[in-house]
Amino acid sequence: MVNNKRKIPVREGLFTASSSAGGKPRLLGGKCLSCGEVIFPKLEICPNCQEEKIREITLSRRGKIYSHTVVMQQPRPYYKGPVPYGLGYVELPEGVRIETLFTECDPETLEIGEEVELIIDKLYDDDQGNELITYKFKPINAYASGKNGGK
Amino acid sequence: MREVIVAGVGMCRFGRYDGEREHPYKTFYELGREAVMNAWKDAGIKWKDVQAGFCGSCYQGVGSGHKVLAEIGLTGIPIINVENGCSSSSSAFRLAYQSIATGLYDICLVVGVEKVPRGFIASTGWPEWQMKMGFNVQPAAYAMETVRYMEEYGATLEQFAKVTVKNRKNGVLFPYGYFRQEVSIEEVLNSRMVSKPLTLLMCCPNADGAVAVILVSRKKFRSKKKKVTVAAAVLVSSLYGVERGGGSVKIQNADRTRIAAKQAYEASGCGPEDIDLFELYDPMAPIELISIERVGICKPGEAGHLLEEGVFDRGGRFPVNTSGGLLSRGHPLGATGLAQIAEVVWQLRGEAGSRSIPGARVGMCHTMGAGPNCAITILKA
Repeated sequence: MVNNKRKIPVREGLFTASSSAGGKPRLLGGKCLSCGEVIFPKLEICPNCQEEKIREITLSRRGKIYSHTVVMQQPRPYYKGPVPYGLGYVELPEGVRIETLFTECDPETLEIGEEVELIIDKLYDDDQGNELITYKFKPINAYASGKNGGK
Repeated sequence: MREVIVAGVGMCRFGRYDGEREHPYKTFYELGREAVMNAWKDAGIKWKDVQAGFCGSCYQGVGSGHKVLAEIGLTGIPIINVENGCSSSSSAFRLAYQSIATGLYDICLVVGVEKVPRGFIASTGWPEWQMKMGFNVQPAAYAMETVRYMEEYGATLEQFAKVTVKNRKNGVLFPYGYFRQEVSIEEVLNSRMVSKPLTLLMCCPNADGAVAVILVSRKKFRSKKKKVTVAAAVLVSSLYGVERGGGSVKIQNADRTRIAAKQAYEASGCGPEDIDLFELYDPMAPIELISIERVGICKPGEAGHLLEEGVFDRGGRFPVNTSGGLLSRGHPLGATGLAQIAEVVWQLRGEAGSRSIPGARVGMCHTMGAGPNCAITILKA
């Protein structure tokens, strides 16, 4: 069956498409050319020093879980994806902490300090019949046996 | 700055007024009217002497304060509607306080009012794309803060359950609260999971409700009630680097509650050791412990142990949430700040009946709202 749904990002400017020339997806952040602060998503003005010289940068694909939860109840009315879902913060080496969905919703696979990798994935089909896509992070050891296995 | 006195407080009972499952139906402005009438009578002033009205609410739409006051009779005064997340009525209170302290008015009315649907609050305090991704779930945001707190300080689920047990026990004696039944540690731990690791009974219930306060200048204070003075009314927003929804790893500014507490202590000339009772923000059980630490009652990581020693019980050294807090009283967003203030006023006047803190002279109220913001009010008898 052919999937004719139009894929649209949950917001423009958050990430590069994964399918482009076989390249791997990247989050798009901003780096302040004045104070060096790295932000996600990119803003027009640096929230740290208020200078307007922000350069777009691609952020590292791997980071570590700073915190996590699994939401067990359906939020309304905006989120229309599956429940439960894994949610948390990931710290990237550039010094930015990003709120994100996880591919996993088993609390046992989510742990502070766990290494995770960026993927682009379906969020859900919106009311117009489009497939919303978004960034998520996936535990690198999600399919290894045991919490500390496979490192 | 002139002295500002809380001359009257009034509440309606918090609960469900949605007409479902045998609950009565009332509009938010009917709830507001009941609270205002109670505060107005408590203050012993004439309705037409009120010079300005300030109304805190989040989701009641345009002109919420006007709708409440129209139930009693519009008198041509300025009415200012204030939305500031869960600090809405604390913020409205601060505006009224400032108006009197600076000499603009002598008698102001503050009202906080809210009706909230069941289930997760459909918060709009996030950018649209983050709401589509399911970030706008308060229990989830607090769950992530809780997971860090457990990791850094070894706080336990049992300690969180004991916060709920304490507040529900206090709530039995608070006549205006939603819940008035005790719960056990096991019931809290075994209630259904909402957002890991927070169970249902670690989360405050949504509730409908309204609270009102009359503030007056010294020259207009003619009530026979004990005088309760506003010693500090502080409102802050967060600093860059620590806001919800991500932020900086490198730049870690002080938390909003710490900043607000420092300002409130400076304004009032007292420290945490001088405060006889605290109404601290407890939307989720662990957040009460974190708030206790951030207002400076103890060091980070100590609150769970002190809780287990009974330090925050009604008879303890630092009673926290004698009204039952949000966990027992319920959380009508825009009304919560004034509910804390009402409880502290009753306590300082010695009108808290069986839940009294004998001899209490100073009390603190603390809310955190979306934004993020934080409001701290200190009252003195």
